[in-house]
Amino acid sequence: MIRVNQLSKQANSTRILRGVSFAVAPQTVLGIIGASGSGKTTLLRCLNGLERINAGTIECDDIRLAANLSGADYARQTKELRRKVGTVFQHLYLFPHLTVLENIIEAPVHVLRMPRDKAKSEALELLESVGLKQATQRYPDSLSGGEQQRVAIARALAMHPAYLLFDEPTSALDPKRAAGLRSLLLSFVQRGHTLVIVSHAIAFLIGLADHLLYMEGGEVIEYGETDKVLNSPIDPRTKDFVEQGQS
Amino acid sequence: MINSRKLRHIIVIALAGFCALGSARAQQTLRWGADPSGGAPYVFNDPANPNQYIGYEKEMVDAMAAAMGRQPVFVASDWETLVSALQRGSFDIIVNGLEPTTDRAKQIDFSNAYYVFELQLTVRADEQQIHSLADCHNRVVGTLGNTAASRLMQKEGIPWRGYADPVGAYRDLELKRIDAVLMDVPMEMYYARPNPKLKPAGEPFARGTYNVGLPKGDEKLKAEVNAAIDKIIRDGTLEKILRKWNLWNDAQAELQNPIRAGQPASTVKYDLTSASFNWREAVWRLTRAAFVTVLIAFGSMLIALTLGMPLAVGQWKGPRWLAWLCTIYIEFFRGTPVLVQLLFLYFGLPAIGLAMPGWLTALVGLGLNYAAYESQVYRAALGAIPRGQWEASYLLGMSPMLAFRRIILPQAFRIALPPMTNDFVSLFKDTSVAYAISVWELATAYRELANASGQFLLLGIAVSLFYLLMSLPMAHLARRLERRLQRRDAIEAVEAEQAG
Repeated sequence: MIRVNQLSKQANSTRILRGVSFAVAPQTVLGIIGASGSGKTTLLRCLNGLERINAGTIECDDIRLAANLSGADYARQTKELRRKVGTVFQHLYLFPHLTVLENIIEAPVHVLRMPRDKAKSEALELLESVGLKQATQRYPDSLSGGEQQRVAIARALAMHPAYLLFDEPTSALDPKRAAGLRSLLLSFVQRGHTLVIVSHAIAFLIGLADHLLYMEGGEVIEYGETDKVLNSPIDPRTKDFVEQGQS
Repeated sequence: MINSRKLRHIIVIALAGFCALGSARAQQTLRWGADPSGGAPYVFNDPANPNQYIGYEKEMVDAMAAAMGRQPVFVASDWETLVSALQRGSFDIIVNGLEPTTDRAKQIDFSNAYYVFELQLTVRADEQQIHSLADCHNRVVGTLGNTAASRLMQKEGIPWRGYADPVGAYRDLELKRIDAVLMDVPMEMYYARPNPKLKPAGEPFARGTYNVGLPKGDEKLKAEVNAAIDKIIRDGTLEKILRKWNLWNDAQAELQNPIRAGQPASTVKYDLTSASFNWREAVWRLTRAAFVTVLIAFGSMLIALTLGMPLAVGQWKGPRWLAWLCTIYIEFFRGTPVLVQLLFLYFGLPAIGLAMPGWLTALVGLGLNYAAYESQVYRAALGAIPRGQWEASYLLGMSPMLAFRRIILPQAFRIALPPMTNDFVSLFKDTSVAYAISVWELATAYRELANASGQFLLLGIAVSLFYLLMSLPMAHLARRLERRLQRRDAIEAVEAEQAG
């Protein structure tokens, strides 16, 4: 369970996020939508601890990040948080000097101190589940965008996170591959993961996200079940965005 | 239209006119070359009045020039290259305690002798074991490069180290960097005798003469110089000068008395100092020097590569005070000449009780210097790694240290490799500054061997080959490593294209 309460974030006296609150129930998918600059990526970076929040709280199971924590406490909580939360960046940031397999086992071996053989066999299973078993010895540069993304997903999953955060997962995919990704993500939910997906592509989230959160100017404009947000939004701004996105 | 031959005529006439004017105004000059640095008591800067040169040879040349009716002009030069400078015409004669060795006599002519010198061995005051040169076979003895003393030791097979001036040699003896110093008595009298920490070992030995060096084949000048020496010996001027400088002794009387008695000059002739130059020996010495060069280059590169990293990280990510310290270090070592840094380490540090041998000084000095450069290579390479690589590592639970070691550093290394190779090749050549602190590396070897033999051209080619032999494999190795890193990318890209 992720609970965000009255979260605010500012950088250089500009407010990027203002009073953001929402919750994500276990084994559900939250889609965060909004135009560029609406603050959705920053929100994601707060959820995985890359940005420190200035007000409010983030709760993730028994972990609690609060703006008023001391630096050391915040760092400790962040460290705990990252054990539970895996992230797949928009730009993926695979490690270019390591092979696909090495990318995936790097953290299990060196952070979790997992025996190399065990890490390898887990990694191979993961690669099989994302359909990339044949590419283990390749280097990331030589893979297509979609393949690279699946490596990044496998790399995040190798740390056994309960929660997975995605930033613009469809930006490099054609519609056919996007559909493939959607079914892959759904399979993760069935296996017990909870997902938060930042995207401006509403079509991708239909049939995937249980709830939608529409952001504009760093504020939550609309938050509710996907169906309601898309079909009967309360705020006219949401309606505008949804209509533009689907046209 | 004036053709070029006519033009040349005009120029020649004009020049001749100038020369005639010049000589009409001033007497003919006598340009004499010597090395005044550490040059006491021959010729040196007057400590009381540094703009002026003093010394017994200065006074002697003044007297000789007066006898020749010429105006003496002193040309400050460098001891080890005096002979080649004379051949090049930088001055008319050499007067610098020069010994008329047979190998030098192949290159230049010599006047009659004007002084008989002996060699004196000097040791530290607490030395118990060295009583004569024979005790020095397993020790290192300092002396000036390319002198009678150095040649004698070369002939006797005694390990010796060449210095550019006596001050450095005696200081290193005090600092225990060497075990003894062998010098001509005049220098020993001036530099070592007053020093309570040093003492003479045994009596002076091995006589030789100082003669004026002259351009090969200039018989007229030779006769003129010989006549002048003859005159100042006969009228007692030279004796007066030598007595004033405390250099008069029985040996001088033996040289001068026959001349004063009207016998022909140069009846006293000694030869203890012909350098036996052979190529096998030269190549052996060059090889040894090459080893020292390699040792210094690799050692200092190791220091530079190791120290460069904390410097780069400190300057880049450290707290403000640390970043400042690193910046000061880097700017200091980049902003001052490496030669000055080496001299400081070699001569300055012993003041606080840290006396390193020359090769170690060069190794450490160059290492400290290049660390500044390597830190900038690292910093640029580290800065070129996208921030996302750090963030991705953190999100996988890595600590900053782990992320740095496993993710950032390997990527930065590929970027840093070409400039690092470049620096290493350049460091190889920079080892030659170790010459300044009397380290027997390739550049020193070249200078001393070439000066001793006059084989500047052939030895120069040989030394260049040695440098190339060392730096080319390095460059080649680095290129291969680079190519291997790149090729892996290239092959993958092609495969991806075909598969795609």
